[in-house]
Amino acid sequence: MKHKNIIVSTVMILFFLILSLFAWIKPQDSFSRSERRKLSQLPKMSFENLINAKYMNDFEDYTLDQFPLRDEFRALKAQVSFNVLRRMDNNDIYISQGHAVKMEYPLNENSVKRAGQRFSYVYDKYLKDSGSKVYVSVIPDKNYFTAGKDRLSLDYDKLVSDFKAETEFGQYIDIFDCLQIDDYYRTDTHWRQERILPLAERLAKAMGTELNINFTEKTLDRDFYGVYYGQSALPLAGEKIKYLTNQVLDKAKVFDFQNNREIPVYDMEKAEGKDPYEIFLSGPLSLVTMENTLSSNDRELIIFRDSFGSSLAPLLLSGYGKITLVDIRYIHPDMIGKYIDFSNKDVLFLYSTSVLNNSETIK
Amino acid sequence: MLFSSIVFLYYFLPVALLLYFIAPKKFRNTVLLIVSLVFYGWGEPKHLLLMTASIIIGYLSGLMIEAFHTQRAKKLVMAASVTISLGFLAWFKYTDFFIENFNKVFGLSIPLLKIALPIGISFYTFQILSYTVDVYRGEVPAQKNLINLAAYISLFPQLIAGPIVRYSQVENELREREYSFSNFAIGMRRFVLGLGKKILIANILGELCDSFRASGDKSVLFYWLYAAAFALHIYFDFSGYSDMAIGLGRIMGFHFPENFNYPFISKSATEFWRRWHISLGSWFRDYVYIPLGGNRVKKSRWFLNISIVWLLTGLWHGAAWNFVVWGLFFAVLLITEKLFLLKYLEKSKVFSRIYMIFVLLISFVIFNSADMEEAVSYIGAMFGEGELPLVSKELGYYLKDYGIILIIAIIGATPLIKNMVLKIRENHTAEIITDCLEPAVLVGLMLVTTAFLVDGSFNPFLYFRF
Repeated sequence: MKHKNIIVSTVMILFFLILSLFAWIKPQDSFSRSERRKLSQLPKMSFENLINAKYMNDFEDYTLDQFPLRDEFRALKAQVSFNVLRRMDNNDIYISQGHAVKMEYPLNENSVKRAGQRFSYVYDKYLKDSGSKVYVSVIPDKNYFTAGKDRLSLDYDKLVSDFKAETEFGQYIDIFDCLQIDDYYRTDTHWRQERILPLAERLAKAMGTELNINFTEKTLDRDFYGVYYGQSALPLAGEKIKYLTNQVLDKAKVFDFQNNREIPVYDMEKAEGKDPYEIFLSGPLSLVTMENTLSSNDRELIIFRDSFGSSLAPLLLSGYGKITLVDIRYIHPDMIGKYIDFSNKDVLFLYSTSVLNNSETIK
Repeated sequence: MLFSSIVFLYYFLPVALLLYFIAPKKFRNTVLLIVSLVFYGWGEPKHLLLMTASIIIGYLSGLMIEAFHTQRAKKLVMAASVTISLGFLAWFKYTDFFIENFNKVFGLSIPLLKIALPIGISFYTFQILSYTVDVYRGEVPAQKNLINLAAYISLFPQLIAGPIVRYSQVENELREREYSFSNFAIGMRRFVLGLGKKILIANILGELCDSFRASGDKSVLFYWLYAAAFALHIYFDFSGYSDMAIGLGRIMGFHFPENFNYPFISKSATEFWRRWHISLGSWFRDYVYIPLGGNRVKKSRWFLNISIVWLLTGLWHGAAWNFVVWGLFFAVLLITEKLFLLKYLEKSKVFSRIYMIFVLLISFVIFNSADMEEAVSYIGAMFGEGELPLVSKELGYYLKDYGIILIIAIIGATPLIKNMVLKIRENHTAEIITDCLEPAVLVGLMLVTTAFLVDGSFNPFLYFRF
């Protein structure tokens, strides 16, 4: 008994000593690649932040963010949750059919309604008497394909029906049946560009245009670890990002109004950044135009979109002379009239269920 | 500062223990006081002044009670000290509750003061009260050394969540404590198990309760699942914290009283309160119930005494009507049991336990409600009011999602595992094997709880508000 107590005491003292020393002396990291976010830094002490306890709160954030072997500990938690406690998800992420999937739930009817109302605002302000043809479409999240009976998922029929009721000004284009789970990245929320040509054709056909679907497929060297890789903290394998190009895209002129600069269709600098999906039209930008310099077609398409639109728009360019992409999460609708002529255009509101169900970011 | 936080486990605790053990024995209470003040001030620096004032009042009161020779003078000082301590508690905890109800009764709109509740005030106030009353009763001598008394009241292991350690229980250990590998190992084992209960069971069941509250797909059985999850959640949360407190105390040479003894196996409410929050129950027994006359009075007065004690117990938990009703709910149960029910319950093995689980689930729904309106609506829903379906899709999902945790929690709430381990250890070989495994199990548990802390942000502690 005596020896046992000495051993237990020694082991526990060593455990706390080693981990504490490690925590105290470990240099600070500034960024977590797996979680794609900046990490809290050691706060500066002042009389004021000590008295109002802000220093203490910031210090606690710092200790959590900078804890040694943070990613390994997060992975351990995920493994224990799934394999020991048999939890159905970890941080709302679960694995199904080889995919990390976020369990988007429950349906936020007010959010869907709000999104519809914001799009109605755009319609009333710019499109009502513009002679433009307006279309709306909804992109299902991955949970639509994998939830089945075992897991919780949105009531997609109700979401679409509510959304259609709020956006009666536009013709609804159903694309749910154009997609399958493998049309999305396994570790990310987004769809794979090389898999959505039939979907692009469905949209183009509904909008009365034709596409040139002859593309060359290219692959990024670097493995892609999507947003769910970090959130799930599971040891998921990396995957490849492929992108499609052709002469139309090679000669296309793309302009980023947010930063007042020309950008490439596929931004290879972003391939080395925190989110390689941002190679598609340089990631989240408020207002981007793509001009098809090889086209004599003067038809123009305006897409109100979220991040899914970045990889879709290049596939639609051959059907138009110009495509304008607007993300009203980053620019207020009142501002866009200065940059866009809405007369006689095709206008598509294309949003994912995730954004519609969490629409507070839409301005 | 929470015990179940990275900053406590890997920043505060190692430094506090290091300073404590390298200090010469005669300075260890001083070190304990300093680290306890840092611990308390970490979360609420401004309330350090209040606690310091409470300590000084308690200290001077003790000295004066002992110094005065007449009973009348002693009583006066004791009454003044109790009034001041309870005055602090009433001001910080009950002022807005009083104003709110005053407004309702008289149709006024006096603005609420929105006074922040100092952490742990209910616990340390009760410790100061017990000290003052015990000195007055002559059960303990007044503590002459301010540092020793301050170290006792501010003792960080039990400062913010109990158990309510009475001065008489640690009086000798404040002077001299035994330091040994045995105390350290026993304390560390208790601490790590308590941390595991808190992080791996209570916090996860807390998430289930939150999911229920946010659900738009409720059903009758989902309400019952919530009631069970909350009952287990609060048990593992509070008993886990008590384990950590008792363990930390033991590491530093203190023997704190037990606070829980498998309350969910009780056969009656009477037994339940001998097993649940034992330090609070015994405090009310010794400082309120017995002074009121206890059971050595007329039956009607006896029942009144029980009602007063349980009204106060309810109010101690929070300044809201649902806590008052929760306390009185137990008063009614206890009176009913004392009138006739207890003898039947004690004879039964199955029915009595079903009865207890049933009334406990109802009681904890009242306890955890935002107000009485919600409590009534939840209890109604548990019995099918509101045309709810019996089951729902979310119920099925959460049963699968939390199934293992619920099973672990239910088994862990009984002495089954403890008894099994004891039985296994009767065999000498098995005893050696379990002894060898223990350090690995403790380190493994620490790694897993650390992993949950690093990953998660869900880490509230319920008894902070008391």
